[in-house]
Amino acid sequence: MRKFLHLSQGGRSALPVLLFLLCGFLAPLVAVVWFSFMPARTFSLAAAPSLDNYVTIFQSTSYVSFLWSLALASVTVLVLAVLCYPVAYGLVRVFGKWATLLTLLFTIPLFVSENIRIYGWVLFLIKNGVLLGSLKSMFGVELESILFTRTAILLGMVYVYLPFMLFPLTLGISMVPNETRDAARDLGATRWQVFREIELPLSMPGFTIGFLLTFVLAVGAITEAKVMGGQRIIPVAQDIEIAFTYAQNWPLGAALSVLLMLVVGGLVLAALWRFDLDRFLGRK
Amino acid sequence: MVNGSKISRRNFMQQSAIMAAAFSAGGTLAPRRAWAARETELNILCWEGYNSAQVLDPFRSSTGATVKAESLTNDPTMINRLRAGETNIWDLINVNNPWARKVMHPEGLIKPLDRARFEPYFETMMPDFKPPYQWAMDDSGTELLGMAQRFGPYSFVVNTDKISRATAEDQGWNLWNDPANAGKYGILESDDWNVFGICCIAGFDPFKMHDDAEVAKFTEAAKRVFGGAKLVGDIATMNQAIISGEIDFHLTGGTYSASPARADGHPEIRGITPNSGPMAGGKGGIAWIEITSQVNNPQLSPLAEQFLEYVQSPEMAHTVAFAEGTFNPVSQMGNPECFKLFTPEELDTIQWDSLGEEMARSVEYDIVPDYDKLLDIMTAAKRDA
Repeated sequence: MRKFLHLSQGGRSALPVLLFLLCGFLAPLVAVVWFSFMPARTFSLAAAPSLDNYVTIFQSTSYVSFLWSLALASVTVLVLAVLCYPVAYGLVRVFGKWATLLTLLFTIPLFVSENIRIYGWVLFLIKNGVLLGSLKSMFGVELESILFTRTAILLGMVYVYLPFMLFPLTLGISMVPNETRDAARDLGATRWQVFREIELPLSMPGFTIGFLLTFVLAVGAITEAKVMGGQRIIPVAQDIEIAFTYAQNWPLGAALSVLLMLVVGGLVLAALWRFDLDRFLGRK
Repeated sequence: MVNGSKISRRNFMQQSAIMAAAFSAGGTLAPRRAWAARETELNILCWEGYNSAQVLDPFRSSTGATVKAESLTNDPTMINRLRAGETNIWDLINVNNPWARKVMHPEGLIKPLDRARFEPYFETMMPDFKPPYQWAMDDSGTELLGMAQRFGPYSFVVNTDKISRATAEDQGWNLWNDPANAGKYGILESDDWNVFGICCIAGFDPFKMHDDAEVAKFTEAAKRVFGGAKLVGDIATMNQAIISGEIDFHLTGGTYSASPARADGHPEIRGITPNSGPMAGGKGGIAWIEITSQVNNPQLSPLAEQFLEYVQSPEMAHTVAFAEGTFNPVSQMGNPECFKLFTPEELDTIQWDSLGEEMARSVEYDIVPDYDKLLDIMTAAKRDA
């Protein structure tokens, strides 16, 4: 109470927002965690808690879904890093006045629903669709579609999450002062040394933000596997969806959600532990 | 601007006190206000179609009411919404036949309709729906639990350019037991219906308790069926895949799922009901019938029953049959005034030519007693495929 009275005026003014966040953000999370300890296929939070749902998960093949989600997200991040770095570098250093137009072109798809864009890819890739249909009618070439394969899922994820890697990378590269690069070159550094010892470390905040943002979004991805992959892979997010819907097993869905949060949260915290964003962003 | 206003510390405190009093009185005032508001408000939880503008806008215009409808794509999720406490939100719920009588009414999630008011509508429906229609009634046969409207056979779909209708009907569920068909078919992501389909492929009736031998057969069939599937997807994906030639047939499906493709000029895409199968009476097909019920909402909108009457009219029943999304027969087609509104093209879209015989070869969708166990097995098979 004494502490409350000694809160600054700003602190007291912030209390309603804090309470709102506690109720609107933390309370649902607590409810999900508590649900995960309830007996399977119940809809009440009042039963005696147990670890049964977690035991069920560890005794099942749910780990397959976890592994697929983590693997797909990791590969997506790596592919995007390789794809986006030269583009981001070009936007900052090479394209000049065209950079704004190109940035706009990368941004515009974000205004269209992800589902619609993914279905667009289906129409493009499907047998007798835009790509294969055109090849067949124009050149008489009949090829197999990559649709409904794991490659198609990866293609969809790389396409959807590209802006989430590209823009932080652009920010990171723009943080590297030209003078530092020039000084390194003047001191005899090769192009590779400038990249490895100057540009890469100094643009690391952008890399880190891009990695984290893309990984967290990609690990919870579901549409690409469902629509482009024809469910060749069942990602963990879909396992959770099935538990909450067709299986009517909220406690199991909640337990899967808690495990996903723990795994992703653990990986993100480990990354943040290693890369101090405050230091990168010059706040220390 | 704050300095220029009339707000002072004193009147701010007065206004705050008034606000606080209003909030504290909310507990007693709110229900009355809410009840008054519900007279011009209606919330519907439904399968797609009832949430379309063609269905809702005329009702909104004629009543001046605010009508909200949310569409979901499987029955268990809709029931869950009520179980989770949303009975105080929804006024009507539209799900498939067994749920009203076997689940929602016993659990107190819905309340009966005024039988005298609604039973006469059944008299004008198709002969199979004559009152007291079993799925609209409670177990005792006294309470009317909902109104029947859309229905249809739902087993599987083939491209008749690849597999003839006669072959598909004769082979029935054994299409999935032929190793030569691996990679030629898709699976619709309706997991509850896939449980029924895989039971039939394994050779036993889905709608009963299953012994260990049957569960073992189900496990083997689920692994094989998912292992051989080219894709698993929603209705749009499945129709695209079957039209483009990616697949030749898909599990599960019927008039409902094939109708968008048929309406789009692909009559070769056809819902198939097997000539025979492992279900009661040697039947091989499964059919669904939607029942719309009143939610047991403590502040039920008085518009709920009014809306149910509204969709019984010939014009609106026809609109419901051809509302956006999928196209389906409606029970009101038994009324000549309603039937004459359907064009020959629309009748072809809903496979009217074979509807009677397909329904005769089908059992009606029911609750699977050991659904949880079979779904878990099927989900694992799908994950491991």
